[in-house]
Amino acid sequence: MSELLTINNLSIDFSTSEGLVKAVDNISFSIPEGKTVGIVGESGSGKSVTSLGIMRLIPNPPGKISNGEILFQGKDLVKATESEMRAIRGNQISMIFQEPMTSLNPVFTVGYQIAEALILHQKLNTKTAREKTLDLLDQVGIPNPKARIDSYPHEMSGGQKQRVMIAMAIACAPKLLIADEPTTALDVTIQKQVLELLAKLQAQYKMSMLFITHDLGVIADIADEVAVMYRGKIVEKNKTSAIFQAPSHPYTKGLIACRPRLDHHPLRLATVSDFMTEDGREKPVSSDLLGKTKTTRPLSDSNGVLLEIKNVKKHFPIRGGIFGGVQSWVKAVDDVSLTVRKGRTLGLVGESGCGKTTLGRTILRLIEPTAGTINYNGTDITKLDREAMRQMRRKMQIIFQDPYASLNPRMTIGAALAEPMTIHKIGDNHQNRLERAGVLMKKVGLDPKFLSRYPHEFSGGQRQRICIARALAVKPDFIICDESVSALDVSIQAQILNLLLDLQDEFDLTYIFISHDLAVVKFISDEVVVMYGGKVVEMADAVSIYENPQHEYTKKLLSSIPKGIPQKSVGSFGAGSGETSSILVT
Amino acid sequence: MKFIARKIKGQSLWADAARRLVLDPFAFWSFAIILIYVAVGLSVKFGWIASGWQEEIGPSRLGPDFAKDWRYWLGLDIFGRSITSKVLQGTYTALFVGLMTSLISIPIGVIMGCLAGYFGGWVDDIITWFYTMLSNIPDFLLLVAMAFALGKGIFAVNLALGLTTWVSLARLIRGEVMKHKNRDYVVAAAALGAGHGRRIFLHILPNVLHIVIISFSLRFVTAIKSEVILTYLGLGAQTGSASWGLMIDDAKGELMQGIWSGLIGATLGMFFICLAFSLFSDALRDAFDPKLRT
Repeated sequence: MSELLTINNLSIDFSTSEGLVKAVDNISFSIPEGKTVGIVGESGSGKSVTSLGIMRLIPNPPGKISNGEILFQGKDLVKATESEMRAIRGNQISMIFQEPMTSLNPVFTVGYQIAEALILHQKLNTKTAREKTLDLLDQVGIPNPKARIDSYPHEMSGGQKQRVMIAMAIACAPKLLIADEPTTALDVTIQKQVLELLAKLQAQYKMSMLFITHDLGVIADIADEVAVMYRGKIVEKNKTSAIFQAPSHPYTKGLIACRPRLDHHPLRLATVSDFMTEDGREKPVSSDLLGKTKTTRPLSDSNGVLLEIKNVKKHFPIRGGIFGGVQSWVKAVDDVSLTVRKGRTLGLVGESGCGKTTLGRTILRLIEPTAGTINYNGTDITKLDREAMRQMRRKMQIIFQDPYASLNPRMTIGAALAEPMTIHKIGDNHQNRLERAGVLMKKVGLDPKFLSRYPHEFSGGQRQRICIARALAVKPDFIICDESVSALDVSIQAQILNLLLDLQDEFDLTYIFISHDLAVVKFISDEVVVMYGGKVVEMADAVSIYENPQHEYTKKLLSSIPKGIPQKSVGSFGAGSGETSSILVT
Repeated sequence: MKFIARKIKGQSLWADAARRLVLDPFAFWSFAIILIYVAVGLSVKFGWIASGWQEEIGPSRLGPDFAKDWRYWLGLDIFGRSITSKVLQGTYTALFVGLMTSLISIPIGVIMGCLAGYFGGWVDDIITWFYTMLSNIPDFLLLVAMAFALGKGIFAVNLALGLTTWVSLARLIRGEVMKHKNRDYVVAAAALGAGHGRRIFLHILPNVLHIVIISFSLRFVTAIKSEVILTYLGLGAQTGSASWGLMIDDAKGELMQGIWSGLIGATLGMFFICLAFSLFSDALRDAFDPKLRT
């Protein structure tokens, strides 16, 4: 089979204030006609820069293709002129991006935006372009295209917008489609539909596809071949099944092992650093790391109930009319009751907009509930006055999703950790509080020397550790983790999840763990609650909800998760499997 | 953790902004000009230079004479007083008005903006109503009215400018505070038990303070120009004191007779300080803009 695109020794540099950064470092790979090649890597690995490089869309300055060639149908794109590139972009090579919300222009109708590409590249007139657009909308599965063609982007859901983006990308029947994290911003059920659509269109148009993602599960579903990128280099490339069955590079092994899975229930998650040293060499893996399987902790009544919420509602008014009266209500949380046991973790799963975050904040009274009772250790906290609630906040803490947003950028880490102690009069003086802060830093795996640093000097994973330390500063009994690992790379995510488990054991903490990621929730939770449309649709212990879901929605959710790792490889990382030793003991 | 180990003392965003400012040649030179003006203003205040500006040192309306000392370089006015000395005296007046106006308007703007943005609801309604009403009255009409009510003179100009120019700052601060108050770090502070005061002044305010600093610098330009205009209209500094506005007023008659040095002196005095503050404001904005960083 002939190669559509061949990349030889490509390097892309960025000049920054700290000097030259090799974002892409001497990579070579090729995309055969009609096949899908996946690039998988974590943030900063250079995968998106590679795709922009193929399109010659690297912002210059600061970026520059410093070496190598990109042969597209025998033509070197690195040497192509800007006008030659314009004829190729959107016509022969087109691209879809991660954020359908920002990739569409909000002031034009979707029909106009699709037709624009057709008029520009295919020289169609307005009328034929519109007919073709209707046809395209139909192909990408937009219901009732005639009615939707004149919609504006804000009138469509995220999944529909991504379908529109796909329609724009395939409008000119490109030879190569570059999909840069096309499903990352979507819910898991929508993700499944979009992936199926891409596979269908690829067969129909006989396109090649370059699929870029951080998610190994997605890549396994869609790609024929996979290249793994790490710090600007391709560390491994092979057929998809081969990568998953017998990864050769330690980074790939770590990446596959650190991802929580539904079919495997380890005591702790492996991390990349278990497989690889800091300078990229292989490390011998201890056999008990992956072997130990977690047994479900008994949920007997001996673990007393710490938190019991009954019939909690949170309705937001929608105002309108000339007098600004309440027109209707959004029932973000609608009649939810649940109990959390001491020292246990309750997982709260659901898709975006299901009310899980609102529920979390309502439990802490960061948002006042509309109705219902929240009993914490026997006290109904909805009845507490402001001062009493402030005292209560010592016991109940929250860790947010975005570690970049949840630390005050103008405060040193030391000040951020000492502040809650000041508020609650823990410690005698500032010096004493800083000492305590240092102890907390050690607990979350950071060096106490860094107390005088500012948040922007830390990486995402480190910042999340700092947020955890800050929550621990008031010695709480109960912590709500609101999507606390969702913004992190999968290898960092594994470290943070392990840390949360360790801290739970050490301080006898109780968690509510809110997430959209079912695999993560399964790994960390004892019990799981599934929310949909503001209501709890199912509640059961972590194992049985996955093995034997009762509610239709739960079933749909579970079936939408990318099956990812091919069935053949199931168990290849489990204890005692013959393959395990051959992979791990090298 | 590869990037650590270089330095242990953290660098705050303020220190980072200061570093950017030092590296920016426009900022450097405009700040140098501002410093020269401040030095002149202070010297005038303490009587080190141009203290005898009211002395008659030569014949009426003597042209520029570079052969004599610096007092004669721009010539003499109708009373035989040194125009150079008057320009220097005017510098002090201008800077004084700029500073006083800022000191009055900035605290009002910051507090109003913070309260309106943070609490929202009826607090916001009242404050917004108040400043919308204030800003609907034409600026100069209000200034003229206040200057009349308070009596003419520099004091009235300071107060009038101070009490009318806080609106735009309050608006900016209000918007920024609204944006910040729902950020995770503020919600996190609330979850830790921080009260309203701590959230507003310890958490949000330092994150919007760059607006205050930029606004302080821009305000100077507006205040200096307004003082000149008010004085020219006869509402500011009165005869017997020194102000660029008065000099421009005098130039009305003088220009007819071909005497231009008074006007040139006052104009150049104003031009350089306004230019310097404008450039410096831009440099401040570039250095402080949080959008450039994560």
